[in-house]
Amino acid sequence: MNIELTIFLLRLLAGLSLVGFLLALFAVIWRQGVQHPAADRAGQGFLVREQPTLAEDELRCSLRPIVTLGRAAGNTVVINDDFASASHARIVLEGGRWWLEDRESRNGTQLNGETIHRRTILADGDEIGIGKYRYRLHLNQENMAS
Amino acid sequence: MVGSRGQGNVWLLLLLAGAFIFAGMALIATARSPRADQWTSFAVWILCALGAASVLRWRLPSHDPLLLALPMFLSGWGLVAIERLAPAFADRQTLWLAISVLAMLGVAVFPQVLRWLRGYRYSLLAAALLLLGATIVLGRNPSGLDFAPRLWLGAGAFYFQPSEIMKVILVAFMASYLAEQNLTRRARNNEPTGLSLRLVGPILLMWLLSMVILVWQRDLGTAMLFFIVFLLLLYLSSGDPRLVLGGALLVLVAGVVAYQLFDVVQLRVDIWLDPWPEADGRAYQIVQSLMAFAAGGIAGTGVGMGSPGYIPVVHSDFVFAAIAEEWGLLGVIAILSSFGVLAWRGLGIALNHQGSAFHKLLAAGLTMTLLVQALMIMAGVLKLLPLTGVTLPFISYGGSSLFACHIMLGLLLRLSAGAR
Repeated sequence: MNIELTIFLLRLLAGLSLVGFLLALFAVIWRQGVQHPAADRAGQGFLVREQPTLAEDELRCSLRPIVTLGRAAGNTVVINDDFASASHARIVLEGGRWWLEDRESRNGTQLNGETIHRRTILADGDEIGIGKYRYRLHLNQENMAS
Repeated sequence: MVGSRGQGNVWLLLLLAGAFIFAGMALIATARSPRADQWTSFAVWILCALGAASVLRWRLPSHDPLLLALPMFLSGWGLVAIERLAPAFADRQTLWLAISVLAMLGVAVFPQVLRWLRGYRYSLLAAALLLLGATIVLGRNPSGLDFAPRLWLGAGAFYFQPSEIMKVILVAFMASYLAEQNLTRRARNNEPTGLSLRLVGPILLMWLLSMVILVWQRDLGTAMLFFIVFLLLLYLSSGDPRLVLGGALLVLVAGVVAYQLFDVVQLRVDIWLDPWPEADGRAYQIVQSLMAFAAGGIAGTGVGMGSPGYIPVVHSDFVFAAIAEEWGLLGVIAILSSFGVLAWRGLGIALNHQGSAFHKLLAAGLTMTLLVQALMIMAGVLKLLPLTGVTLPFISYGGSSLFACHIMLGLLLRLSAGAR
């Protein structure tokens, strides 16, 4: 094989593998971050009520793209506490992450013991506090894109 | 946070990176008399990549595979670039890569490392400062030239640059210190955050440390890097822009004073503003670097077919210019994308560690150290910023730099798997 052809083939290989690497990189990102429809994530995390402990069936709530918490009956998680506002807080899925939002409640929403002042990203194991109620967040880490 | 679905991609990415590096090595072999050792370098790279991927998959199954694939791609590219530009240094760099990857795996696999970094932070900081102090007294430069900055500690043929490992220790120290100050909570309770000694003290200390590095060692890049990363971490932990503005003001004051007092700062700023009158003299390096970018065009001249050798010490700080010449705009975009994705994943780790302030700040600090350093040298080589002599992470020649970058990477890998 003559030298010019070898060099040409090697340069072709270099260019193709470089472009291939970039394409593969963006494919990985695309598949993990952008493409996931919100519905894919439903049921991959859940809230567990830790305080006050009551009947077993009231303890767990699977996460849906929007989970509302409050005293009013229409909420996903109804909180039977005088300190909870009617629409107190909500957990939303946005851009592949779960966010905790306070909905201008009178007594505020706590995340890991601190009152939140703006919407905050949630991580596995976080504790959400409303009134005397405490909820522990469990996210399925295996399927969450970072 | 990437599950089994993500793991298959790492092999494909490593395969493509391997093909790219193989083509580079083979092209070098066609361009000049082949060196047997360059295939040893390639073999070592393959062993490092496959070994690291397997060990991480075995011991740390939930790590982020991109945090391995991207740095391996970049350091393999670095081996090719050094083989091309300075073959005399290639063997040394290969050895350092093997050591660094081993260290990275050690840091990533043993969970105690994170605890040690936090628990023994004062001892570690003291040891690092001592080493740094030792360079002021005993420092040497491997080139042996009298006017070159003496940043290295040497023992025989072995040289090490303490300021590189200082980066890791300093970021860990800042992260654990700021995590304990609990600045966000104080800011919310309207406690005074601006003027307490606990906050201003470390700012002044960091500033002083940067100044000492700058004055005694004439290491402009490291001084800037330390201070910028510190300010970013401070902002991240407090959310208070006043602290950052105050710090930026200090940098400005220091910059103006340093411009008046130190030749090296004056030189860097002057040739940044206008290199052309001195294109043959003091600005020769930066002008040649711009020429290299121009010569590269879109697809580059091809490996071994450009003449990046005109740039003095091209294999270290100016490796980005050589890549721009021989791999062209395409190569530049590939490197920018790699650092961009690396930074994005690293900051993503910080977002996933809201529960622990130390882990959050550590992940953000390490990522920003790598990113700011890469941006500083890439912008410097392109004459977008005054030139600050730092290495391009993972690519530039330099054992201590490669080692420190891999240690930071190991910590990020550990954090990406969840360090609860």
